[in-house]
Amino acid sequence: MAALTNLLFVFLLALFGYGMVRAKSRRQVLALTLAGVLAVAVIGPPPAQAQGSLVAAIQSVLNVINGLIKTALNSMNSVRTAVSNFYQQATWPVALINQSKAMVTQMIGQYRSLMQSIFNINLRSATLPNPTALENVMRNRQTTDFSSLTTSFANTYGTVPAATAAGPADRTMMDMDDALALDNLKTLKESDAADDLTLRVANNIENGASQAAPGSAPFLTASAVAASLESQALTQRMLAAELREEAAHLAHENALRKRGAAMTGDVNAEILKLLERK
Amino acid sequence: MRKVMRNVKRWFEWGWGHKLRTAVLLAVFSLLIPRPARSQFLDPCCAIMAAGLSTISSTLGNVIGGGLGSILSVEKNISNFEQSVVWPQKLIAQAQSLVGAVQGLFNQMRGVMKIPVNSATLPASRQFEQNLLSGNPNQIAQTSAQYTTVYGAVPSATAASPETRDMIDMTDATAQAAMKKAIEIDALADLELKAADQINQSIRAAAPGSAPIIEAQADAWLVRANAYTQSATADLMRVRAIALANASENLKNGAANAAAVQQQIYNLLKRQ
Repeated sequence: MAALTNLLFVFLLALFGYGMVRAKSRRQVLALTLAGVLAVAVIGPPPAQAQGSLVAAIQSVLNVINGLIKTALNSMNSVRTAVSNFYQQATWPVALINQSKAMVTQMIGQYRSLMQSIFNINLRSATLPNPTALENVMRNRQTTDFSSLTTSFANTYGTVPAATAAGPADRTMMDMDDALALDNLKTLKESDAADDLTLRVANNIENGASQAAPGSAPFLTASAVAASLESQALTQRMLAAELREEAAHLAHENALRKRGAAMTGDVNAEILKLLERK
Repeated sequence: MRKVMRNVKRWFEWGWGHKLRTAVLLAVFSLLIPRPARSQFLDPCCAIMAAGLSTISSTLGNVIGGGLGSILSVEKNISNFEQSVVWPQKLIAQAQSLVGAVQGLFNQMRGVMKIPVNSATLPASRQFEQNLLSGNPNQIAQTSAQYTTVYGAVPSATAASPETRDMIDMTDATAQAAMKKAIEIDALADLELKAADQINQSIRAAAPGSAPIIEAQADAWLVRANAYTQSATADLMRVRAIALANASENLKNGAANAAAVQQQIYNLLKRQ
């Protein structure tokens, strides 16, 4: 681009010189001179700035740096400092974080073993051998001795009579009653074992809380909620067992009622037969 | 040489003859003649520019560099605080591993609750017990028939009074509904245990910023589980209410029977 400009300049200068040499009158010379002056004035580059304007330019750059930029940087610095102070003094004050952790540790010491000892109080009350054995196996929080439970239950409450000793309906209902009672006793042994595990989960989460940071606590909170959900599901299992038991109790009474109605009908029929004979 | 001298002489003669043109051309050429470059050492303009640039440089260093340095220091302070107090990587990893330990205990709990508890010995009661403990909602359809096999059906209209038949039917209905609800609740509890397992696994893989989202989901599940528990409790209360109503009905029947017997005795005495 610069070479092209130079070429154009040389060409115009040669044209101007040629025109000046070839001009035939003073009027033409004057006209050519005026045209040249006009061309220089219009096309020519602007004059270079003087020393005074250079100093002013440098000064204006310095003014921008010392004014606008310095103010902006100072503002940013003060905002970030305020944010830092806010974090350290209001949002996550180290002293309060440590205080919370200390409180968790203190409460662990204050309550855990006390509650555990209350929870572990021996509630067994049976006195005779068979009930004592049944009570022991019912309350031992084990899930590996269901057969012992069945045996102890049979020793205490007896077994379903032989087919010759009771009617089929009675035998079936006795078996169903015993089965549901045993099912629930086994379910309770399972839920006792699950209780122990739930308490371990709670202890683990509480121990974790005593060492947590604000950023790691959400893991423990979320895990605690998941544990609550598990615990709620186990409660539902127990509730379902209780529903079965209560329903079976109701069904048992109702079966007796049906049998009573049938027996009343039979007695009525017998009385009618007797009266008819007379 | 002579030719050159002759040409020069001709140019002078032309110039003498055209003084104005010569003056204009000389003026133009003298104005456009190339000028020497400005020296870095001798030109005062360059010296001023050098001094100005030096001042700008030191100002940049002091004002912008200093300001940025202060901001960097505050940012470092915040970063250190966040990494050592708020979100320490070590404690986050520790919490995640604790969630893993809790997961292990959950698995044990599920294992314990899956141990079979079936105890019935006779065919009809065994079948019915299997249905009740199945936790399979698809088996609810068979519950009524199996119930009738074990506990009997409502007596026919000739075998019992309408009041007694109503009471028996209502009691059977409530007992069967409660048993069906128990199957339903077992199935729901199984699904909740699965969901809790999934939630716990996602907590292990979460970040401190995403864990609260999972916690919110777990909270929602807990609320749902509470609703199911309430529903089961409602059925339990229905069973107890019907048992109470039956006891009351027995008293009412007793009173009615006593009145009827009294009337019969009175009639007998009247005949005599």
